[in-house]
Amino acid sequence: MADIYSIVISRKLSYEQKVVALAHAAEDTLNVLPMPERTRFYFDKGVICNLNEGNAPYRPRYIMPDYEKAVKNGVKFLELDPPQDFDELLTFLQVLYRHVPSITTYPVFLGDLDKLIEPFIGELSDEEVKRKLRNFLLYLDRTITDSFCHANLGPQASRAGRLILEVDRELEQAVPNLTLKYDPAVTPDDFAEQAIYTSLCVANPAICNDVLNAKTYDRYGISSCYNILPIAGGSYTLTRLVLPRLAALTESKEEFLTKLLPEAMHCMAEYMSARIRFIVEESGFFESHFLATEGFVERDRFVAMFGLVGLAEAANHFAPEGKKYGSDAEADDIAEQIMEVITAYVNEYECPYCEIANHRLLLHAQVGIDTDYGVTSGIRIPVGDEPESIYDHLRHSARFHRFIPTGCSDILPFDITGKQNPAAVLDIIKGAFSLGQKYIAFYASDSDLVRITGYLVKRSEIEKWNNGQAVLQNTTQLGAPTYASAHLANRKVRGV
Amino acid sequence: MALVRKIIGQSTVDGLGNRTAIFLQGCNIRCAYCHNPETQAMHDAEATEMSVTQVLDEVRKGIPFIRGITVSGGECMLQAEWLAELFAAVQNLSDECGHSLSCLIDSNGTIPFARYPQLMAHCNGVMLDVKAWDTAVYNRLTQASSNQTVKENLVWLLEHDLLTEVRIVCLPDRVDVETILRNIADIFASIGKKSPVRLLRFRPHGVVGELAEHPMPTEKEMSDYAAFAQSLNLEVTVK
Repeated sequence: MADIYSIVISRKLSYEQKVVALAHAAEDTLNVLPMPERTRFYFDKGVICNLNEGNAPYRPRYIMPDYEKAVKNGVKFLELDPPQDFDELLTFLQVLYRHVPSITTYPVFLGDLDKLIEPFIGELSDEEVKRKLRNFLLYLDRTITDSFCHANLGPQASRAGRLILEVDRELEQAVPNLTLKYDPAVTPDDFAEQAIYTSLCVANPAICNDVLNAKTYDRYGISSCYNILPIAGGSYTLTRLVLPRLAALTESKEEFLTKLLPEAMHCMAEYMSARIRFIVEESGFFESHFLATEGFVERDRFVAMFGLVGLAEAANHFAPEGKKYGSDAEADDIAEQIMEVITAYVNEYECPYCEIANHRLLLHAQVGIDTDYGVTSGIRIPVGDEPESIYDHLRHSARFHRFIPTGCSDILPFDITGKQNPAAVLDIIKGAFSLGQKYIAFYASDSDLVRITGYLVKRSEIEKWNNGQAVLQNTTQLGAPTYASAHLANRKVRGV
Repeated sequence: MALVRKIIGQSTVDGLGNRTAIFLQGCNIRCAYCHNPETQAMHDAEATEMSVTQVLDEVRKGIPFIRGITVSGGECMLQAEWLAELFAAVQNLSDECGHSLSCLIDSNGTIPFARYPQLMAHCNGVMLDVKAWDTAVYNRLTQASSNQTVKENLVWLLEHDLLTEVRIVCLPDRVDVETILRNIADIFASIGKKSPVRLLRFRPHGVVGELAEHPMPTEKEMSDYAAFAQSLNLEVTVK
C-alpha cells in the first residue's frame, strides 16, 4: 500500500504514468498463476524474471495487428470505414493505434508504415505529404509516450519510405522507433544509404537482416526492442532467464549445464505455459477484444518468447581467469555450450497455444532492464570488452545470433565521420548480414538521441530526469539508470 | 617486397565504400601541405618490408566487410611492379572467396600509368591528385620540376575509364583551384567523359614546415569553389 501511495503523490511521474503504475499495482494484488516451490526459488534469486508483466495477464504482451487488413476492411468496433484518402488514413491509424493494447498500454507495433502510406500519396506533392507526416509523427511521439513503439520500413524502396526518412531526420524524435528491413537483393543501395545517413543523424532507423528474419514466419514485423514476431499475431509473454544469477549458484560448469540450467529452464517454461493458458483460457482477450473478433490478430499466430540475458557474464563465470566472452575462444566456447543446452531444451519442450511456432517457446535475446547490474543485454559483448576490430565484433555476433529466432541485435556508436560515407557503413552491414548477423542499430557518437538497450532516449531528457524533473517519455525513466549502470557512454565508438 | 607504412583495415575516406587502405612508404614530390609527411622518406625505421602474401593476409581480415582496397602513400606508383602483383593477387582472392574486391590507386600522377599495362589491367580506378595547373604554382608547392605527366595521366585515365576521382587540395593563396577546375572541365568536354571532382579543404593537422600554421580556407571560400565547379558542369563534392 505504501508503494501505491508513493505512486499517487509522486512528483516525477506524469498523470498518465501514474495511471499505468496504479493499474500494475492493482493487477499485482492478484495471485492466479501457480508458483511451485522451485519456481519461487528461482524468482527470488532473480534467475527467472517476468519483466513486470503482472500477476494476472489480461492481454498478450506484444500485439502485432494486421494494419493492412484493417485499412482494407475498416474496423467495426471503432466505427471506422476504410480510409479513402491520405488524411483519412492518418486519422484512421491514429484512432486505431490508440486502441492497441500491450504490456506498456501503448502499441508496440505500428505496422509497415511505408506500405500503409504509399497507396494514398500518389496525387500529393512531396511537400504536402511531408507536412501531413510531420503532424502525424508529432502526434505519435507526444501521445505514445513510450519508445518501445516500433514502425517498419522496406525492404522495397518507396516514395513513402523516403519521405518518412526525411521527416524523421527533421523531427529528431524518440517515437516511433523505425527499422528498415534490408535485403541486398531487394533494397537499393541509395535507399539503404539514406536510412543509414538518417540513423547517423537521429539514431533511427535500425537495420534488420530481412533475408534471415523473414524465414522465421510467413509474415513478420519488428516491435518494441527488436522483437521478431508474426504479423496478425504477437507474443503472449516474454519471461527471461538471467544467466549470470543462475551461474552464481555454482562454481561447477558441469552442474550448471546438466542440473541448474535444465531445472531453471523447466520452471520458467512451465511458468510461461501457465501465463499463456491464463491469457487464452481465462482473460477473455481473444473472445472479446475487437482486434481478435474482427480478425486483425489470430490466436494461433501468437508465440511466447523465452528470454535470455547475460550470456557473456555466465560464460565468463566458468571461463579460466581473465578469459572473456567476445575476445577469447575459451569463453566463447563455453557460451556456445550454454546455448546448445538451452536450444536443445526449447526444441523439446511443448507449450500450449503456440501453433505458429510448432508449440515451441522461441528464444529471444532480451536486452535488459533498468535494474540490471553486471548483466549484459542478451548475447551481446559487455561494454568495455568489445574486440578492437569491428569485424571481429560482428563475426562474433553472427556466431551467436543463429541461436535466436525472435530478436537479437547489436548497437554500435559510429564516429561522426560516418555521415560522410553511409556507403561504407552499408558495406559493413552487408558483410555482417552475409555472415548471419541479424539486426544492427547504430547512432553517431555526438547524437542527442541514443539507443539504450534497443529503445531511443534523448541524452538531454536523461539529464532532466536525473535532476528530478518529470519527463514525457516513460522510457527516459528506464533509460536514465541503464545509461549509467550499463556504462553505455563507454560503448566502443566505431570509426568509419 | 614493398615498404609499407601502415594498413588501415577500415577506411571510409579512401574511395567509395568501406575499404582496406594500404599506405606505402616514400614519395617523390613532397608537397608543402602533406598531412602525413612521415611517409615521404624513401626509407624509414617505422615502415615494414612486406610481401604480397603478407598484405593479402591483412586484406583477408576485412572480407566480407570491405568493398575493396586502396593503395596510397607516400606515392604508391614508385612501387608499381609490386602493386601489379598485389592487384593480381587480390583479384585471385576475390574469385577464391566469391566476394568481389576492387583495387584503387591514390596517386600524385607523376609516374605514367600507361607504362604499366599489367597493373592497370587489374586496377579498377585511380584517384588522381591534381595539385596545381600552372607549372610555376606546382613547383612552388612540390619538389617536382614539372606537372606535365600529371596532365597526361589525367587524359590517359579518362580515356581508359580509370579516372575514379580528381582530388584538389584547396589552399587559396598557394593552389590555382579555379585554373585547375577550368582546365579539367575543358578536358572532360573535349574527350566526352568525366569523373567526379573532390575539393579537399586544406587542414594544417599533421603538416610540418612552412604551412604548419597556415589557416584553413573559410567555408565561404570552399563553397565559392564548389559553385564555380558546378558552373562548369563538374560533379563536385567538398570535404
